[in-house]
Amino acid sequence: MKTIAISGKGGTGKTTVAILIIRWLSEHVSKSLLAVDADPSVNLNDLLGVELKETVGSIREEMRTLASSLPGGMTKQRFLEYKIQSSLVETPDFDLLAMGRPEGLGCYCYANNLLRDILGTLKTNYEYIIIDNEAGMEHLSRHNVQNIDFLLIISDLSVRSIQTAGKISRLLKELETRVQEKYLILNRVQGSVPQSAKKVIKDEGLRLFCSIPDDENLLKMDQKGKPIWHFLSDSPAYQAADQFMMKLMNFKRE
Amino acid sequence: MSRLIATRAIRGAHKLVARAEKELKQEIEEKGPQTKVEFPNTGYYLPISYGILGLKIETIGGLNELLEEAKKLLPPIPDEKLWLPFLGHTLDAGMATLFADEIIEAIKYTQDPLPYLSEPNPRDEHLWLGAANDVILRERGIEFVDGTAPGFAVCVGYCPTNEIAVKIARELQEKNLYVFMAAATEGKSMAQQLQEEGIQMGWETRLVPYGDDVTACIHSLGFSTRVALSFGGAQPGDYRKILHYNKNRVFAFILALGPVDDEKHAQAAGAINYGFPTIADTDIDQILPTGICTYEHVVSPVSHDKIVSKAIEVRGLKITITKVPIPVPFGPAFQGERIRKEDMCVEMAGQTKPGFEYLTTKKLDEVEDGKIEVIGPEIDEIEEGSKIPLAIWIEVAGREMQPDFEPILERQIHDFINCTNGVFHMGQRDINWVRISKEAKQKGFKFKHFGSILHAKLHGEYGKIFDKVQIKIFTQEKDILDLIGTARKVYKKRDERLADMTDESTDTYYSCTLCQSFAPNHVCIITPERSGLCGAYNWLDGKAAYNINPTGPNQPVKKGKVIDAVKGQWQDVNEFIYNNSHKTLEIFNAYSIIEHPMTSCGCFECICCVLPSTNGVMIVFRDYIGMTPVGMKFSTLAGMVGGGAQTPGFIGHSKQYIGSAKFISANGGAKRIVWMDRALKEEMEPVIRKIGNQEGIENFFDMIADDTNAVTEEEVLEYITKKNHLALSLPALF
Repeated sequence: MKTIAISGKGGTGKTTVAILIIRWLSEHVSKSLLAVDADPSVNLNDLLGVELKETVGSIREEMRTLASSLPGGMTKQRFLEYKIQSSLVETPDFDLLAMGRPEGLGCYCYANNLLRDILGTLKTNYEYIIIDNEAGMEHLSRHNVQNIDFLLIISDLSVRSIQTAGKISRLLKELETRVQEKYLILNRVQGSVPQSAKKVIKDEGLRLFCSIPDDENLLKMDQKGKPIWHFLSDSPAYQAADQFMMKLMNFKRE
Repeated sequence: MSRLIATRAIRGAHKLVARAEKELKQEIEEKGPQTKVEFPNTGYYLPISYGILGLKIETIGGLNELLEEAKKLLPPIPDEKLWLPFLGHTLDAGMATLFADEIIEAIKYTQDPLPYLSEPNPRDEHLWLGAANDVILRERGIEFVDGTAPGFAVCVGYCPTNEIAVKIARELQEKNLYVFMAAATEGKSMAQQLQEEGIQMGWETRLVPYGDDVTACIHSLGFSTRVALSFGGAQPGDYRKILHYNKNRVFAFILALGPVDDEKHAQAAGAINYGFPTIADTDIDQILPTGICTYEHVVSPVSHDKIVSKAIEVRGLKITITKVPIPVPFGPAFQGERIRKEDMCVEMAGQTKPGFEYLTTKKLDEVEDGKIEVIGPEIDEIEEGSKIPLAIWIEVAGREMQPDFEPILERQIHDFINCTNGVFHMGQRDINWVRISKEAKQKGFKFKHFGSILHAKLHGEYGKIFDKVQIKIFTQEKDILDLIGTARKVYKKRDERLADMTDESTDTYYSCTLCQSFAPNHVCIITPERSGLCGAYNWLDGKAAYNINPTGPNQPVKKGKVIDAVKGQWQDVNEFIYNNSHKTLEIFNAYSIIEHPMTSCGCFECICCVLPSTNGVMIVFRDYIGMTPVGMKFSTLAGMVGGGAQTPGFIGHSKQYIGSAKFISANGGAKRIVWMDRALKEEMEPVIRKIGNQEGIENFFDMIADDTNAVTEEEVLEYITKKNHLALSLPALF
């Protein structure tokens, strides 16, 4: 099992990058993929073109309201397990788990404790886990994703989003998460990367891995909330992804 | 018991003792009293007389003493009109029979040529082996002790056909039992029948032909007596220990095949002394009331296809299956394995098809152990990728089985099936969901294997509380919809029963001393309304655990006389606590936090303690790491409350106990709660609101302070005063 986490400031197109990666892995490496939508503000499923049933968040709320009268005489552990397993969206190319809304007021320690366990076990069933995170990485810390093999921080060329990338990179040190390799990917780059951006990257202590060219077609669909899954083949963005994924996975094309 | 069967056994004993006397007299006249007698290469003299009486008989003359003992035990033959014999007389007659048998068999060993082949296996025309030597005893006897062989069947007489004889022998072998054969009837014996069929016999195949004389039966009891002497630590002459050892450790029984004469009745009476029952295929009188044997003493008539399973049931023999017989790997490592849709061969029940899992109790004769039926299509009759319904219907029967155990066993279906490589299981009852992988199907996994898994695992882990289990797997919607209503009715009843149980509704609680390894003086008393403080054991769990392991850490505790109903104090509970706390605790109140409260090991989910100035109590859950209003963190509190000492004002308890009507009920109950840590309070919200409603306090939940608004006792007092908490108006705690 390898875990790839994707993070970055909102609006930098990180969900699009997540989809590029899922698509590439399913096409070239394995269909044993679990995509985790851990950013409640963007809907990974919409861009993937699949429909969501329930989210971990909604299940957690349901358990809290039912509390002492769970159906089937089940324990909380067994109930959560059942619901989480059945909330997975299954496609021929990947499975999708949505974390959903973050917790409301009140204490979620107990539910999160159980979830940590259940999600931990679920993950071991897949060859690759691709997590689309929000910038704060709240889910990572809450649900104890202890090992990340690749953290890809996505940024566009704006100073602010590169600074956010720097913050994310530093934040990781505070979390109990071990990251094997950490890379910056610049998205929506027209032409080459300007010197000013390179300087900010250096100041933030980041390492630029690659850049993805501006892809107007994808951007339009993204903005409209239309699924992009099926329109990737010819897109320049996907071609860039092909390059960096080959590099990242140490993949040799036959 | 029947007068007739006792009469026949006593009459048989008289005949055998008379025969022994006659043969012995003749032998002494012919060979002289100093002639040596022994069972060759054995170190226990003549084992029955040595074990039961402590007699060391080495000569023919010495047998006279044994004969005298036999005569002393012989009760008069019941007169047809005068008196009714009792079990005691039958047992005495049985013991006299065993002594007479041993005399007759011992004399045989002085004859030339020897009537027995003193080797482990029959050879050429020599079928009968007689007494086993000590090498065999050491090699085979240990199997009775370590459980490799649970016991033996003494097959007396013959079967109607050779085919039946072979079938019975095979069935006994399959259960790992030794088959001892003796006593021909009308010149015919089961051993001869097996010989005719070319079956290989001897100690190696566990098919042991002892002798064709009725007295040769004694070699089986002689063998088990020697097992008790050499492995059970019993001293010669300590007959109580030898007989108890055999009853408790050696699972033996007699199969009476064909006509049963007086002498054979007498053998059965002898075996009852050892706790070994007799099962007959002919219609002889039964001895049903239990007393000496674990269950019945003599059962008849039983058909040949049922006789082995009936014998196992009557003897109380437990079947163990060490390997789960399925074509895919099995083990806890496979729990949590998800079968992805792409790898899936079939999905059962779940979100799209109906299904349920149900376990129920049946009568013993309604259940055939190990019977597995698939009703509807099997895995190879459905299309790959299909979604089909599934019901797993389990019927168990057992002398110790109680309906209360049904949900406990039923809950295990999930854990057991999930250990299968290539099978995914979720949920329980009518929310069940199963997937089987293509790979598992390729390896030969079938729906019927659900039955194999459940049969093996239920026997393995819960065999103590039931004897037989049969499983039906339904895969057609119509059948499932027909049955689901029945199951749902029972689910509902179970939930109601658990919720309705009160401490007053039972006269027995259960103890838990599991933690005495580190808190040697601590005893948990688990009542229906106060679960174990660790939260892991409720009253039903305690009850089931006791039935699974009667000598384990969960023992039944009779309440006895009520000393104080309000505080929850009972005479026999006090006594139990005293004896099991190494005499450190004399009094215990189940419902009080102030006077003699229950002790704690250290595994408590929560600690409750008095906050004196608030006239109430606080509760902290073990995961809360912050400071509490009593001025101690959980870890410090735990050190104070745990360890098995009574600390007035402090108790350790489960979360569940908070919602119990008996929660510190001697001190005013849950109304006293003035502070909880926030996480616990949130989790228990529905329970707390319910308590509030019952007390008629609308906003009870909000009256309770928590760590977000109070961490010192002063702050708690301030908070609850503002909220006008009920505890303030209750009588003083002290």
